[in-house]
Amino acid sequence: MSNEMSLVVRTADQTRRAELSLDPASTGADIIQAAVDNWALPGDTDYTLVNATTGRAVTPGESLSKAVRPGDVLEVQPVLVAG
Amino acid sequence: MGTDRYRRHEQIDWFSQDAVRSACVVVIGAGAIGNEVVKNLALLGVGAVDLYDFDQVEEHNLTRSVFLRESDIGAGKATAVVRRASEVDPAVRLRAIEGDFWEHLGVSQLAGYDCAIGAVDNFEARIRLNQMCLLAGTNLVNAAIDSRHAAVESYAHGDAWGGACYECHLPESAYGRMAERYSCGGLRRRARAAQRVPTTAVTASIAGALAASTALRLGASGDERPASRRVLIDTIAGGSTVTVLDRNADCAACQGMLEPPVVVRTRNRWALAPEMRGADHALDQVLRLSDPLVTGYDCAHCGALPEAVRYLDRRAADFDDSIATCPRCAKAAVRIEIRQRFELGELVERFGTRPVPAKFALADIGGRTVCFDFEES
Repeated sequence: MSNEMSLVVRTADQTRRAELSLDPASTGADIIQAAVDNWALPGDTDYTLVNATTGRAVTPGESLSKAVRPGDVLEVQPVLVAG
Repeated sequence: MGTDRYRRHEQIDWFSQDAVRSACVVVIGAGAIGNEVVKNLALLGVGAVDLYDFDQVEEHNLTRSVFLRESDIGAGKATAVVRRASEVDPAVRLRAIEGDFWEHLGVSQLAGYDCAIGAVDNFEARIRLNQMCLLAGTNLVNAAIDSRHAAVESYAHGDAWGGACYECHLPESAYGRMAERYSCGGLRRRARAAQRVPTTAVTASIAGALAASTALRLGASGDERPASRRVLIDTIAGGSTVTVLDRNADCAACQGMLEPPVVVRTRNRWALAPEMRGADHALDQVLRLSDPLVTGYDCAHCGALPEAVRYLDRRAADFDDSIATCPRCAKAAVRIEIRQRFELGELVERFGTRPVPAKFALADIGGRTVCFDFEES
């Protein structure tokens, strides 16, 4: 589909990486859920999304059309909680 | 104190020993990161550190906590850490507070610190500390680890109001995880202890060092307006990322807080002063308490229960979901009403001269958040 956005999604340890075409209406939460499901990331961890190209975090409800430009690299990072 | 102690620091052109010596920091959590934070603050010669923790030392803590020894097992963590940290630099004023910061640290008191460092081990405590720092206008450094990564986030609620807060980027799944441990309204679920994440001294020491440096703003220029940001370090691959955290307009914590809140220290008594009588409009003011309260307790089968007096007008967090089982018919049929929002008039009616079992109350007055910070009863 012509209005899809091409970008790269990877994990923080960079062991997983995919070049994808995504709907610009997809949200940060959608990307994280897809990464968790497709890459079988540990389910006992929470994740956040970072636009590694711009160095800014993508909020869970933010759409790709607002936070990302074609070609950007998105990184799925763990939300750490232990002290 | 030897005059030579800080000589190496004084040789660093961007390091101000006077600024470090004048800093007053509160550290929440005396676990793996808390130990490392206190170690670094003490070595740097910080002015004062208050350390809060309600936990006792256990044997498994000894692999990650630089100040703890086998002889400390069973002792209070905060006291054990402060006892040994005091040997590092006698000029640093260290104080241990054995207890939950939510119970013992007031919003007004928090405003007196230059920075709070969150080194706790669960989302609930991190959210609570973030809320208190937002209200107090105190800089927050949030440090966390797992077995591989160290993350240090800085939120300059004191130096640059209006940036992102800790909850701005917290994923829904984190709230879901918390909800698994609490029934709706805030009763604790039985047998749902917090998940324990494995960690190492490696990630703790990196997080602790960076947290201490960030709290003291070492190397930062005075006129720089600090943005909220997260540093994530991968201790195995050696990489790190620095991420700017923008404010989230839909944030559960800071949404609507367009200006720094006004904090009013007040007695926790609800009888109307003589000059307030007749001011009925004031009684309609809606207040949101810091802690949800149990406001209704009866059984769908048995009706009113005399046992209700044990629960009504007390904090929901004081109880677990076992109280949903009716003491008369033994069915899980108790209807429990739990609320956090009240009109002032209702609180006056419910509590009168008794203290409300809450830490503070928030009100939206003239478009601004006002925090009524209750003095301890």
